[in-house]
Amino acid sequence: MTTPWRKAVRDFWHERARTVLVVLAIALGISAFAAVMSSYTILTRELDLGYLATNPASAVLRLDSIDEETVKAILQNPEVNDAEPRRTIRGQIKAGPVQWRNLMLFVVQDYGNIRVSTLVPEHGAWPPANGEILIERDAFQVAKASIGEAVIVKTANGVEQPLVISGSVHDVGQAQARMENIVYGYINLATLVQLGEEPKLDQLNILVAQNRFDENHIRRVVADVEQLIKSRGHEVRRIDIPAPGKHPHSDLTGILLLSMSSFGLFVLVLSGILVINLLTAMMASQVRQIGVMKAIGGTRWQIARIYFGQALFLGIAAVIVSVPLGILGSRALCRYMAMFLNFDINSFAVPLWVYLLVAVVGLAAPLIAAAYPVWSGTAAPVRVALSDFGLSQTTFGASAFDRALTRIGGTLRLVAVAIRNSFRRRTRLVLTLSTLTAGGLFFLAALNVRASLVNTLDRMFAARKFDLMIGLANPYELEKIQKAISKTPGIKRAEGWFTTEASVANPSTADHDTHTSGLHGGGSDVNRFSVVAMPADTQLLDLEIIEGRNLAPGDTDAIVINNALAGKEKMRVGETVVLRMGPADTTWRVVGLSRESFSPAVAYIPLSFIQQRHPGMVNNLRLLLDNSDPDSIDDVKASLDRNLEQVGVRARGSVTKAESRFGFDQHMLMIYVFLIVMSTIIGGVGGLGLMTTMSLNVFERRREMGVMRALGATPRTVWLMVVAEGVVIGLLSWIIAALLAWPISKVIGDFITKVLFRSGLDFTFEPLGLLIWMVVSISLSAAASFFPAWKASRVTVREALAYE
Amino acid sequence: MISLREVSKTYETPAGKFAALKNIDLEIRPGEFVGVVGKSGSGKSTLLNMVAGIDRPSSGAVAVAGTEIHALSENKLAAWRGRNVGFVFQFFQLLPTLTAAENVMLPMDFCKTFPLRERRKRALALLERVEVGAHADKLPATLSGGEQQRVAIARALANEPPLVLADEPTGNLDSVTATSILDLFRGMANQGTTVMIATHEADIARVIDRRIEISDGSLLQQ
Repeated sequence: MTTPWRKAVRDFWHERARTVLVVLAIALGISAFAAVMSSYTILTRELDLGYLATNPASAVLRLDSIDEETVKAILQNPEVNDAEPRRTIRGQIKAGPVQWRNLMLFVVQDYGNIRVSTLVPEHGAWPPANGEILIERDAFQVAKASIGEAVIVKTANGVEQPLVISGSVHDVGQAQARMENIVYGYINLATLVQLGEEPKLDQLNILVAQNRFDENHIRRVVADVEQLIKSRGHEVRRIDIPAPGKHPHSDLTGILLLSMSSFGLFVLVLSGILVINLLTAMMASQVRQIGVMKAIGGTRWQIARIYFGQALFLGIAAVIVSVPLGILGSRALCRYMAMFLNFDINSFAVPLWVYLLVAVVGLAAPLIAAAYPVWSGTAAPVRVALSDFGLSQTTFGASAFDRALTRIGGTLRLVAVAIRNSFRRRTRLVLTLSTLTAGGLFFLAALNVRASLVNTLDRMFAARKFDLMIGLANPYELEKIQKAISKTPGIKRAEGWFTTEASVANPSTADHDTHTSGLHGGGSDVNRFSVVAMPADTQLLDLEIIEGRNLAPGDTDAIVINNALAGKEKMRVGETVVLRMGPADTTWRVVGLSRESFSPAVAYIPLSFIQQRHPGMVNNLRLLLDNSDPDSIDDVKASLDRNLEQVGVRARGSVTKAESRFGFDQHMLMIYVFLIVMSTIIGGVGGLGLMTTMSLNVFERRREMGVMRALGATPRTVWLMVVAEGVVIGLLSWIIAALLAWPISKVIGDFITKVLFRSGLDFTFEPLGLLIWMVVSISLSAAASFFPAWKASRVTVREALAYE
Repeated sequence: MISLREVSKTYETPAGKFAALKNIDLEIRPGEFVGVVGKSGSGKSTLLNMVAGIDRPSSGAVAVAGTEIHALSENKLAAWRGRNVGFVFQFFQLLPTLTAAENVMLPMDFCKTFPLRERRKRALALLERVEVGAHADKLPATLSGGEQQRVAIARALANEPPLVLADEPTGNLDSVTATSILDLFRGMANQGTTVMIATHEADIARVIDRRIEISDGSLLQQ
């Protein structure tokens, strides 16, 4: 090692506390980057691998019924790798005295021979015997039950059948039960009969033979299969083609990780700022030494290399620290995401290229950050460098701004000195402020985005005036239902609605490619959207019309679309659209556009349209209750269920307003937690930055502090002055963050909701956030300047004055 | 060895123009020991800086050891200086994080003048020559002023320069130490090195070959 390198190492060792701070700050940035990059590779690989391991169906066909012969005939097609009949049926489940919960029942003919969309048995029995039900592992929390417990299950026909939960399975391909607030159950055909249903299967899972991941190929094969089924006299009601080879949550995970990795890079940039601060200060304190080195024959590049070497050292140390940290972080993140998305991770192996990328980024970042300070620091000609008298001679007082500062503080000498001192090194102040402010902005944005999400949901749910929605098994006469309702206490108002599905019949858009949308895109044919037929004078839904008008009494062909539908199908108010509802095509006039932020695509039509075809029939009830607490709702539900059954009306399922809100709240929580974690890490970098700044400030002003001590300042006063200076910087960052919080939060909130939900946000500002962040930033800056202040107060007068 | 022709240097200061050197003509022969004497602010240091290539003349020409140094770029000048000029400062200016021996090795590392393995041996020999060999592995902060200046002189000799310049080398030392330091310079000159010392002390006459007095930027007598 030549002497220039020894100097590089020893200078760092000399200032080791500060070096450690900066290494930590860079390591924090690289760790975040490494954690996200490795999580990205692990999660995308494991999610899709785990999903592919279940042999997911290329297409799911819903039929009136399917028989063995037809399945055999389909399997004759060489393009079809496999075909397996199943049944999916909606129902309700109740454990103990708990209320009914929505249930999705999967009926499998032969659990010993599941070949398409396989299930993984986890605990307990396999396969389920007669009278037994298996529950998806993530759905136990929704069912509020455990293995071995007896539950009551009913389908739309109303027969209440006690079943025993005999085991748990993992169904990788299902959206997470907790998020959907639904129980996934698995039974055999005999149990289905016990539930009073016909022992028939009506769903066919198809796996194509070649080009499994070619959607167009899948469509062609499925069209052949459809043809064959129809030729055998069966009806094909619906075909779902999921995005081939992709877990339903794959895109969501990708988006989340992508935003996290841009965040990781952002943190890296912030820690680069610390390197700039450190090296600028260092170069300034070494001007004379640089002059000496030039005087004895060092060229600019030879001298610059010493300091670049130091930056490289920072990078190497940071990479060594952050690779294991990043790996640990990625494991935690992967475990959390795996739990959240309900899948298992078999290998945490990270590909080599991620390590290489992290190393390159980690080494390059400090070098890039060092470029300007080092190059300009080594620029001074020898004579100028040699005549540098150290750093105590800054030119404070030269500008009008400095003189303006002298008016602040008044008789509070200490405060005055603290404020003026913090402004002495402008560039350093700006850089430090930018990291602290970034932390504050993310924190405030987290609170504001959360408040805005809550506000948006509040507005969305405020439009829904009903407390309880009951889906009926079939269309029933409203008259019959009203009898049951009149006998049920606690109902303030009830309306009978009709819900169905439709798609745009326009031939040019009929052959839509499947693409992702909504929370869990890619699951089904996106052409279809909900159609809600309601009385034109409904008092239970107060749509927020942003263009055109609401439905009015007397409307027959008027339709109101929500913003999701308008965006998806490019419909506009004033246009005429042809919709395929059931077997028939009908023409509609779009009269209004309603705003429902997080809602999927919905069209609202007058109930009178349905009544023309099915007079007096409804399939959906909306109820406004006297009391909307969960217990009262349960009471009403139970007694209404009984009364409906007495008149021969069967409910298929029910959702309270609170339940549908729950799923949204879960997704919002995730965003909120993500933003808070981000602001914590950035705040950490900011704190380290402030600590570096304060230690540099103290270091450069040792002589001044000696003078103050000589003039009679106690160590305590010196200590207080330094802490006050740090707090001034903290407060400044708070002011800037407070000023910028509104626009920045709005941009972040809009971006997130746009990416995740394809909808806008009703922005609202959380004033409490300002107060919280003020407390946090003051404490953070006081804590960050504590140690430098302590060091400053320990400098003896003689030492400080002797220091050059 | 050194040739200054009509050299002037003017500084722009906030208080107006300041002429540090006025029309200096000066010739110094190889192996000569020259003392530049003058009051504080008279232009001694500026004159030395011109010769070392640390500062450039506003007008005129400076040739040292056959090189027109006023025409060289900063980087070329640094490399040239490393090989041809040894500089000794009033405040020693040793690099605080390098040991005495390493400070002496630094110019050799910069100019790659000696094979890597020989540099330390040579540094130790130089330190031995200025009688601080025992302190070779100590950091500057642990040495006395006189010891630090001896190390600085060893450093100035590292690349065997034909010319050694010293700006007030004894200004910060007690008289006994100062005398021994001046004797070191005398020894150097006796061995053929050209030595130029700027000082405001009168008792330098004992060791020097020629005295140049400078006042308000002009040479008074030669």
